[in-house]
Amino acid sequence: MTGSEFCLRLGPADGRVRVMFVPPLFEEANRMRRTLVMAMRALAANDIASLLPDLPGQNDSMIATADVTLAQWRRAVAENVAAEGAPVIIASVRSGALIDDTAVAAGWWRLAPVSGASLVRTMLRARVASDRERGVESNADGLLAEARNAPLLLAGNRLCPAMIAQLQVAQPAPCAPLRTVTLGGGTDQIDGSPLWLRAEPGEDAVLASAIAADITNWAATCARR
Amino acid sequence: MDQTEATLRTIMADVLGLGETRAAALTAGSELFGAMPEFDSMAVAVVLTEVEDRLGIIIDDDEVDGELFATFGNLVAFCRTKKSA
Repeated sequence: MTGSEFCLRLGPADGRVRVMFVPPLFEEANRMRRTLVMAMRALAANDIASLLPDLPGQNDSMIATADVTLAQWRRAVAENVAAEGAPVIIASVRSGALIDDTAVAAGWWRLAPVSGASLVRTMLRARVASDRERGVESNADGLLAEARNAPLLLAGNRLCPAMIAQLQVAQPAPCAPLRTVTLGGGTDQIDGSPLWLRAEPGEDAVLASAIAADITNWAATCARR
Repeated sequence: MDQTEATLRTIMADVLGLGETRAAALTAGSELFGAMPEFDSMAVAVVLTEVEDRLGIIIDDDEVDGELFATFGNLVAFCRTKKSA
C-alpha cells in the first residue's frame, strides 16, 4: 500500500529526523486536519520536516473504508515509516495511537490517546441517535450482533466485521521512548481546545503551536538518547 | 455550582465550541437538542462518551431519550442522580 496514498509533506527535504503524524481515525481526523497542518507549518518554521500520509480508506484514499482493517492500518503506518529511510518520530493523535506501535521509530509522541472501545461506543451512539431521528429503533447490542457478519454503517463509515472486532479491543500499546500529553495547564499537558470533539471545529492556532513546540522539544530529547 | 455541573458546562463548551461566555450563560432552562444547530446526533454521542469518561459513570442506551437532552438542567439532574447512585 505504501506509495499509493496521498502524503502531505512540509519542511526541509534532507536526511534528518522527521515527524510523521498519525491522525485520529474516522470523523475526528477531519476535525483535526486543519490544525495538524498548521502544526506542520510551525514545525517547518523550526526547521523540522513533517509528513501526514493518508491511511488506506481514509481522507483522499481510493480504497473503500469497508475494505480495510485496523491490522492493515498498523502495517501501513509501519511501512510508511520504513519507506522514509531516515529516523522518524511518530506523532499520533487520539485513536491514531491505536495503530502506531508496530512501526520502527526513533520516538513516539501521543496527544490524548483513546481506546478503541470508547471510539466504537461513540460511533454506535451516533448511529442509534440518527436512527431514532429517522423513526427507526435500534440499540448498540443489536447493531454489534449485525456487525459480526456484515459491514455496519457507523457515523458515515462502513466498517467490516474484522475492523469492528479489532477496534473493540484496541488499546494504545506500550512503546519507547514515548511522551504522552493531554490538554490542560499541568505537567505533561499542552494548551488548546479539544477540537476532535467539536461539531464545527474550525482551527486552533494555540493548539497548533503547542503541538509543534512540544514535539520540537521531544525530538531534541530523543536525539540526545 | 457543584463539580458535576461545572464538568458538564466544560463538556458542552468543548463539544459545541460555545466559548466561555456562552458556556457560563447556560442555565437549567437552556434548551439543547433541537434548539442549538450544532447539537446534532453525532454531538449527542460525543457528549455521552465524554460525560461517562469525565464523571466516571455508565449511561445505558435505554436511559437516553429526548428528555435527557431537552434542557441543560435535565442533563445536570440526570448526571447528579447517576453519580450518587
